Amino acid sequence: MKCRCSRRCKGADGIGDCMKRELTITTAAIDEAALVSKRVMSHGMGAAVYFAGVVRDSEDGVAIRAIEYEAFEKMARHQFELILQEIEKRWPVESVRLVHRIGVVRVNEASLWVEIIAPHRGEALAACEFLIDEMKRTVPIWKKPVA
Amino acid sequence: MTVKVSFYSYFKELAGVAAAAESLPAGATLGELHDRLMERFPKLAPMRKSTLLAVGVDYQPRSCVLKEGDEVSLFPPVQGG
Repeated sequence: MKCRCSRRCKGADGIGDCMKRELTITTAAIDEAALVSKRVMSHGMGAAVYFAGVVRDSEDGVAIRAIEYEAFEKMARHQFELILQEIEKRWPVESVRLVHRIGVVRVNEASLWVEIIAPHRGEALAACEFLIDEMKRTVPIWKKPVA
Repeated sequence: MTVKVSFYSYFKELAGVAAAAESLPAGATLGELHDRLMERFPKLAPMRKSTLLAVGVDYQPRSCVLKEGDEVSLFPPVQGG
């Protein structure tokens, strides 16, 4: 199978200049410091953009203790992959790491963590915004407030 | 033919089940299945227009022709993040 990336990648089977991706859907707490400490950037990269989505203490004006996330995980992984493929076509992103929690996530804890590495901030920020916007449109994950 | 139907999020509560099987005539479409499910699970009917429909792991239009053994999922708008 030839690489599908649009960056004149010479490799096949996803090996070459292809965008690296790491997708984790987990019930475990997101350890942001540990994730950042594992950052890998090649020397041509100048931007590492991070986004953390954190559970607020209210939902529609009502106080809550947590949010319970549910995923249709097999489809969620596939839909995330479609978004990543689109990012790969649109921007010269070197890597994307994404962690989404499922299960009960307490107030002030991260439910989502994203890292985008690209040569410049413009494309990294644009790719990050696109990823989150598309996730909220297509990835089958739902939330239920816990009072 | 028979297809497997799964419900997610609060659709499970409204349907009263997480999954069900539905028998359909050959050549039936996803839209026809959806209409049939709205009759079988009437509490889902008010969400008819906002319901998202998938076959396997891909969204599909109502015109999608189903086949034996397809796994169909119904769920409300997604809310990740």
